[in-house]
Amino acid sequence: MTLTVALPSKGRMKDDAIAIFARAGLTVSAIGNDRSYRGRIEGIEDVEVAFLSASEIARELGAGAVDFGVTGEDLVRESLARADERVEITARLGFGNADVVVAVPDIWKDVDSMADLGDVAADFRTRHGRRLTIATKYWRLTQNFFSTRHGIQLYRIVESLGATEGAPASGAADIIVDITSTGSTLTANHLRILSDGVILRSEACLVRARKAEHDADPRVAALISAVRAALG
Amino acid sequence: MPQAGLPEFATDLARALDALAAARVDIPVIQPAEPFLDMAGEDLRRRIFLTESETGESLCLRPEFTIPVCSAHIAENVATPRRYSYLGQVFRQRRDGANEFYQAGVEDLGEPDEARADARALSEARALIAEFAPAKNLSIILGDQSVFEAVVAGLGLPAGWQKRLIHAFGNEQALNAMIARLANPDSAAQPDASVAGFLANGDVDGLEAHIEEVMQQTGYSTNASRSPAEIAARLIGKQALDATRLSPGSLDALKAFLALDVPLDRAASALSDFARDAGLDISAAQSAFKARLNALSERGEDLGAIRWRAAFGRPLDYYTGLVFEISAGSDNLVLAGGGRYDRLMTLLGAHDPIPAVGFSLWLDRIQTVRAGQ
Repeated sequence: MTLTVALPSKGRMKDDAIAIFARAGLTVSAIGNDRSYRGRIEGIEDVEVAFLSASEIARELGAGAVDFGVTGEDLVRESLARADERVEITARLGFGNADVVVAVPDIWKDVDSMADLGDVAADFRTRHGRRLTIATKYWRLTQNFFSTRHGIQLYRIVESLGATEGAPASGAADIIVDITSTGSTLTANHLRILSDGVILRSEACLVRARKAEHDADPRVAALISAVRAALG
Repeated sequence: MPQAGLPEFATDLARALDALAAARVDIPVIQPAEPFLDMAGEDLRRRIFLTESETGESLCLRPEFTIPVCSAHIAENVATPRRYSYLGQVFRQRRDGANEFYQAGVEDLGEPDEARADARALSEARALIAEFAPAKNLSIILGDQSVFEAVVAGLGLPAGWQKRLIHAFGNEQALNAMIARLANPDSAAQPDASVAGFLANGDVDGLEAHIEEVMQQTGYSTNASRSPAEIAARLIGKQALDATRLSPGSLDALKAFLALDVPLDRAASALSDFARDAGLDISAAQSAFKARLNALSERGEDLGAIRWRAAFGRPLDYYTGLVFEISAGSDNLVLAGGGRYDRLMTLLGAHDPIPAVGFSLWLDRIQTVRAGQ
């Protein structure tokens, strides 16, 4: 049976993932030319590498179409309902670090915490004739964090597929839930992360699709321990 | 196998509903999704069946009847008081049970005698359950947000804290977190340096002007979202909120109230004992509560068979007073639920406030109980 490992198909994520695999003694080579979307790991039979976009990797892991994948935890938790039942994060790889955060206009000097935001959300409809709006591409993470963790239900999500940080200034939404690594984009847009507004501290992870046949497959355990050893 | 069709008792149930003097309404299965998401929040998005029209309008399969029945009433501009009944399929993604099931119920709009309307809703629901799900171990729980509101007001908390607590009412986890904060405020929070001076001097106008200036400099519209005046006012109010600490006595009173759980025939005396012990004047809420008890007794309801649980509520902002649930069996399968939602009609666009109370029955669960007999 062929094991499929999905790696990011481009950019820093691709280079960093291949570098970690190389340190683990797993040399990834593309089949055909460098731009190919198929690869193999040298010296190991029956392991296939698929180069996919990071969000596709999360989805394919959830569907069990690939056995392993390197992708961001944010994408795993956003794409998959009850992610922990379907996949296992076997190693945190130390790159691609970014936080999913709740950020409000910095001038909202009265809003420091999620409790403050809860107050504002509760009154919003009365004051403005509409619910508080949140621009985000993270529907699931936002809903879990607001409703389950903080009991805030009265808001609306405005889907944002890019330049989310510009939504409050442009009037497209009141606040945002977005990913940030240094926070500089938020600051440049006069946004501020709430004191308890970090939803998830994400980084690239080696993720395994939970499949029963993995238990008896020595290659699975070997791959995990090789990558873990490379992380030192 | 879950049955997708109408349960066999539906014909008899329809006849029983018709006897309740409530006009039967026929609500289209496909509904605009907006009002449901707007009233119940984004949480509902995961549980409804959404689609989009050709022109991009969000549509859904009706997840419940109350909102479309109320919207239809407003659109048709019908005189009140008026009662509606419904019986039909609803569509919701559930972890347990089928995604399409039947509900029936009554909405009672515009009845000025609230005690009478409350009692009627509970009593009709109870009678329908008794007829169609004749289980021996039925339990009926009643809650009342307006009593909680009176208690919170009586404790002399700042308005902002009253709102927080009332908003969290019905969500035990959120309410406990609020109470913990009230007992032990976070004194480390300091206002931002850029506004601390205005706050220290009580300079409201200066604060507002400062906020407006910053918003203009940073390209934020002053009227698209929260205005400078709103931010300034809340910043000043927040000083008081952050500093509020509930005295041990008041904290005990709040906890004692939330722990009240007694049969309804002893509820009035439990409530007046509580008010006396806590030294609170909640007499207006007490009389409204008693009026409902009397109305229930007049309808022949057995108050000893209903429990009043002071902490029982629904954390949605349109519920205002009575809530109740009728459940059966050891696993407390909820067969009927109801409540008063006086704020819903204006939220949905009614010009004037319209008092409203209603209940709905879960036909699939009633069928389960019947099958177990």
